[in-house]
Amino acid sequence: MSESAPAARILVASAGGGDLVERLRASAAWRLEVFADLSLARSALPGVDAWVVDGGLGREAVLAWVEAARASGGGPGLVVSGEGGDAFALAAFRAGASAVCASTRECPDALDRLLSQARQRRHGLAARTVAPDPFDRITRDIIETMNSAVWVVDSDARIRFANPTAGAIVGMEPAALSDLPVTHFFRDRPREEVPILQAIDHGVRLRGTETVLTRDDGRVVPIGLSCAPWVRPEGGRGAVVIFQDLTEIKQLEQQVLQAEKMASIGQLAAGVAHEINNPMGFIHANLCQLTEYTGDLGRVWEKVEALRKAARAERIDPTALHRAASDFDAVVDEVDAGFLLEDLGKAIRESLDGSERIRAIVQDLRAFSHQDTAERVDTDVNKALDSTANIVWTMMRHSVKLVKDYAEVPPVSAFPVPLKQVFMNLLVNAYQAIEERAALDVEHRGEIRLRTEVADGGVRITVTDNGSGIAPDIVPRIFDPFFTTKEVGVGTGLGLSTSYNLIERHGGRLDVESTPGVGSTFRVWVPIEAPS
Amino acid sequence: MSGAPVVLLVDDEVHILSSLRRSLRREGWTLLTADGPDPALALLRSERIDLVVSDQKMPGGSGLALLARARELAPGARRVLLTGWPEMLGQAELARAGIDAVLPKPWEDEDLKETLRRLIQPSG
Repeated sequence: MSESAPAARILVASAGGGDLVERLRASAAWRLEVFADLSLARSALPGVDAWVVDGGLGREAVLAWVEAARASGGGPGLVVSGEGGDAFALAAFRAGASAVCASTRECPDALDRLLSQARQRRHGLAARTVAPDPFDRITRDIIETMNSAVWVVDSDARIRFANPTAGAIVGMEPAALSDLPVTHFFRDRPREEVPILQAIDHGVRLRGTETVLTRDDGRVVPIGLSCAPWVRPEGGRGAVVIFQDLTEIKQLEQQVLQAEKMASIGQLAAGVAHEINNPMGFIHANLCQLTEYTGDLGRVWEKVEALRKAARAERIDPTALHRAASDFDAVVDEVDAGFLLEDLGKAIRESLDGSERIRAIVQDLRAFSHQDTAERVDTDVNKALDSTANIVWTMMRHSVKLVKDYAEVPPVSAFPVPLKQVFMNLLVNAYQAIEERAALDVEHRGEIRLRTEVADGGVRITVTDNGSGIAPDIVPRIFDPFFTTKEVGVGTGLGLSTSYNLIERHGGRLDVESTPGVGSTFRVWVPIEAPS
Repeated sequence: MSGAPVVLLVDDEVHILSSLRRSLRREGWTLLTADGPDPALALLRSERIDLVVSDQKMPGGSGLALLARARELAPGARRVLLTGWPEMLGQAELARAGIDAVLPKPWEDEDLKETLRRLIQPSG
């Protein structure tokens, strides 16, 4: 960097500063602007070349800030997520952060990359004043340094131009991509399933379509792709394609889903354990008793043997026979053999009933240990709802009445595990709303109504509770990530937003109607056929 | 049988009551059962009861609450709590309800019998 080059402007918003600021201060290649307050930092956004934000300033506030930074073109940005965890990291990515790391100490690479991007950006912008053809220079700089992959595809579906990021994603030099047909990366897929070809063939514009491409080394990369038809100056229609590597996001998504599932399962574990422990209690006690019974009946049998011997003797001795019969009577009385024989069967029947109950609980529980299926499968909504409800009900059966009103519904093409997860979230929320109301009114009798029906070419599932209800000013926010009214440790603030996303992925809808003090109704609708 | 000690067993799970009866049938005590706090309270009011064994988690209320009430209604009766999660109960809570013994669920028959015998015939 020459001396005359202006220093890159780096904006740092951090509660503590400390380590990070120390590290950055060491160089004259950038000018550091440090803020401890996000709203002040926001006013300094115009013209910055990169930014670093400390997640410790508050999750929701930081996410809003990241979106504002993206909207104002504030350059690449790094979010230091701290203890925010994977879910927060994912949300920061989604909001527009170019990198997220737990601490700057842990990933110096991310920081270095950010700083070099900032320098390049400053160069590019500085060049505006001196280059004879600033537009070309700026355009090239932007395209070559941007975090998104760019392909320009000709009307013959061959790649005419690819930027370095595009090369990195497919694992090839950008120059080697030139003239390669796009179908090279979408092998074995019919033409109508390759989004880019749709843009060329039909002139459709695509935004944020998720698909996968296959690299030459066989790796399958999930990508998010936007694509616009490109009318070539010399005639014919090509396409401009922009895509991102979603591998990291997909992994984070998977982790968040898993974490959500674990959080809900944790709440259920106590209920399920209690539900299994009761039958275990009496099965165990009965088995102990049955051991005693068989011992007692063994003693009766000894007397039967003695009596038989006396009766079969060559010369029957009436006194001995009589004594054997009396002994037999005495033991029968002592052990209460009549009762034993009757109660033995009863104890076995009750124990069988208990083991059957445990079996049913484990059967329902198994549904949650399954990993997701890769493909949509025909799913019986009634069954998915019922097995979920049975499990969730174990934790609330002491305080909530469960009313089931299932219609006959056709199977829907769906991912069963996420669907059950949504049902579980809704049921747990309903239960918590009832608990909330019961805390104020001990006489309150909780009730959850489950309803399924065919509606608009899909199946509608309704979960109605008579809990505390949701205040009208809160309703619009309940599907936002990290929004929670529950106490720390009770809710992650992700249950409903995760549910919303899961239903959206099914091409379905999730909405709510609620009256404070009366209760809430959550309605899920999923289409019978998967949307194309 | 009027002189026999009277033991009241309380659990919402009738099969538990049935297995408790089985375990204790040879002790020579009069066994009464109730499938919830309400019928248990009714029996505490109407009968002479020497010992109450109650489950902790029941739809009509907790065992601790029931045993605390039992202490008022039948001060002479000993109180035993049956629970799958003994570690979740605080000493203060147990003291407040005047619990004489806590038994785990599932229980061992011998433990159950010994504990109840000890409470019914103090110091042998």
